[in-house]
Amino acid sequence: MLRITNLTKHYKGSNKGVTDISLTIEPGDIYAFIGHNGAGKTTTLKCVAGIHGFDKGEILINGTSIKENPLLCKQQFAYIPDNPDLYEYLTGIQYLNFIADIFEVPEKEREMRIEKYADAFEITASLGDLISSYSHGMKQKLAIISALVHAPKLLILDEPFVGLDPKAAVVLKEMMHEICESGGAIFFSTHVLDVAEKLCNKVAIIKDGVLIASGNMDEIVKQGESLESIFMEVACDDKTN
Amino acid sequence: MIRQIKYLTELQLKNLYGLNVFKYTKDKKVKQKTIGLGVAMLFVVLMMAAYIGMAAYGYIMIGMAEVLPAYLIMLSSLVILFFTVFKAGSVIFQQNAYDILCSLPVSQTAIVVSRFIRMYVENLFLTVIVMLPGIMVYGVMVKPGISFYLIGCVVTIFIPLIPITIATFLGALVTAIASRMKHKSLVSATLMILLVVGIMLGTSSLSTMEDQFSIDMLQNLSKVVLAVIEKIYPPAIWFGTAMVSGDFLMCFASIAGGLVAFMVTIALVSAKFHEICRSLYSTTAKHNYRMEHLKKTSVLGALYKRELKRYFSSSIYVTNTIVGPVLAVVYSGAVFGIGLDKVQKALGLPIDVKGVVPFLLAVIFSVMTTTCTSVSMEGKEWWIVKSLPVRTKELLDSKLLWGLSLAAPFYIISEILLIWALKPDFMELLWLVFVPLICILFSNVFGLTINLKMPVFNWESEVNVVKQSASSMIGGLGGCAIVLVCMLLVLFVPASYTNVFKFIISLILAGVTFYLYRKNNTVNLQELG
Repeated sequence: MLRITNLTKHYKGSNKGVTDISLTIEPGDIYAFIGHNGAGKTTTLKCVAGIHGFDKGEILINGTSIKENPLLCKQQFAYIPDNPDLYEYLTGIQYLNFIADIFEVPEKEREMRIEKYADAFEITASLGDLISSYSHGMKQKLAIISALVHAPKLLILDEPFVGLDPKAAVVLKEMMHEICESGGAIFFSTHVLDVAEKLCNKVAIIKDGVLIASGNMDEIVKQGESLESIFMEVACDDKTN
Repeated sequence: MIRQIKYLTELQLKNLYGLNVFKYTKDKKVKQKTIGLGVAMLFVVLMMAAYIGMAAYGYIMIGMAEVLPAYLIMLSSLVILFFTVFKAGSVIFQQNAYDILCSLPVSQTAIVVSRFIRMYVENLFLTVIVMLPGIMVYGVMVKPGISFYLIGCVVTIFIPLIPITIATFLGALVTAIASRMKHKSLVSATLMILLVVGIMLGTSSLSTMEDQFSIDMLQNLSKVVLAVIEKIYPPAIWFGTAMVSGDFLMCFASIAGGLVAFMVTIALVSAKFHEICRSLYSTTAKHNYRMEHLKKTSVLGALYKRELKRYFSSSIYVTNTIVGPVLAVVYSGAVFGIGLDKVQKALGLPIDVKGVVPFLLAVIFSVMTTTCTSVSMEGKEWWIVKSLPVRTKELLDSKLLWGLSLAAPFYIISEILLIWALKPDFMELLWLVFVPLICILFSNVFGLTINLKMPVFNWESEVNVVKQSASSMIGGLGGCAIVLVCMLLVLFVPASYTNVFKFIISLILAGVTFYLYRKNNTVNLQELG
């Protein structure tokens, strides 16, 4: 589904970025991406989403290079950033319809999906209001619905649980499972290690732009340990040494 | 209070022209861009200073030395008024950090004063550019006493105060009225346009009163010009007279008058500050939507509709970009109503524009197209387009289409009025229809090209993009300047070659437009922002 090979991206005039990141996401995977603030999670996700270019390496989505054929790749995934800055001058339904138009979703399907997800996140009644009147959590819910409206095979999410109320967080987790059961995959960053441990079958830990651990959750988190303890051990070794 | 004003003003000034970002950024590209913009601005400043210096020299040479200070003061004040009235409301009531400021122990007067000072600093710079060369030329040629320089310096510092106060009062009034309406941006933009057109028509009608003094003009030109300046902007006469005659009392009386007007405006705006901000930024949510049928649109159609909604959501974007088309209709209407000769006289044009009306119309249409800032207006939401399967061509076409759609009704009305009024022959009709059309296409594509070269996405306020960005200056005025140069070239060509020359210029502009359009569509959106 997603293959990242030796991804290297550095910002001009700065040491920040990511170096030589490689990982593979298979259909059915829920892949957690964890690391400190500024470790390179968002940079990696933005490179995958085609928002940032990169210096070296390759990103393939279902075998298609994001560099060579970004349009075909973008038709297959949806991306939600950590801070959902949406078009505040549109109403919620106008925004969803706009996204559906871009992905050329047939009318019946878009109506059905929007109704289903908006009801699940309990924001149907607010869809006629301007996005500028939405709270952070409502914007996050709308961004999630917009990501699901074209039924993507791959979901790339940056901190998707931030701002969601407990019920919405449960709904999102259910949806993530639903997507994976139908052959899709999810790659998401999070700081909530408990959620990552319970929800994901794979995990990658990034530190200072370098991947320091990745693989199946049960291989990385051995019995009697927790993702938190592993993370503290491998990602914070500078402080403990 | 003074400390609060000091801290808030520092904050405002740090944000001005991206100086703080320039100081601390590690991105060499950002630094290079800022330096490039600084060099370009310095070039413009030097050109302006040279022009003012030469104009001052000309005034003195024809025996109008005593008029010069008043003329320069009026000129700088009108420029300040014209440019500030558009943005005063947006700057004073800017939404950025409003919530944070409200939670801090700072008075609303301090907030208003700090934002006023920010506008003052920007305009003081402009005043110095206008006044300094004039004072220097006057000093060298007339050799006045020391009081001229002393009063000149003091006056220069206080010149921006009155026009900014007037602009702030008008801007705040428009914002206050709009804040009570449902479609705030649209109402604000409409009122602002009416205001600006009113100011322009008012000043041009006052300046045409010189006809009444045609006999006097031959005898005493200075008195006539002073009389016109007094009608347009009386404080210019007070300050100017104080400078020429060394009248300190008149100087301080004028300054005191300006300060009182300023303080009264600050008091009025401060009293209503929170009320206006709350009305502006509070959004009503009906919370009563029920799922209904959703209509499918093409990708280009969806992007176009989004452009339309983006446009009308921002009053400063509307006012800044619709001025050209509105003035084109006003100009055509005036030609239709009172005739080309009278309009030419009212505008004070030193040339016979009969042969270049199509170009003159094109110049007016080419000022500040929507496209010169439409990419930057994506702002923090730029990630959406970048992550969607949208071709560069589709996105840019939607922006171009909106720019052209906006100009279209104004173009059609202007054409009907001008054709009716001028009754052109076949060739004239051809130029009247096609020259503005090609120039509108050119200026929109040119604006988009410049914005793609100099996009700004990380802005705090729309004012930063629409009024202060390099793209709005170069893209918004550059296209207009190129069309103006074409018009001047046509003017200097012998009459027998005019048609051929117009054809060649139209062909070149059309060719450049097509080339830029093709080139723009190859831009990699990923590399922007």
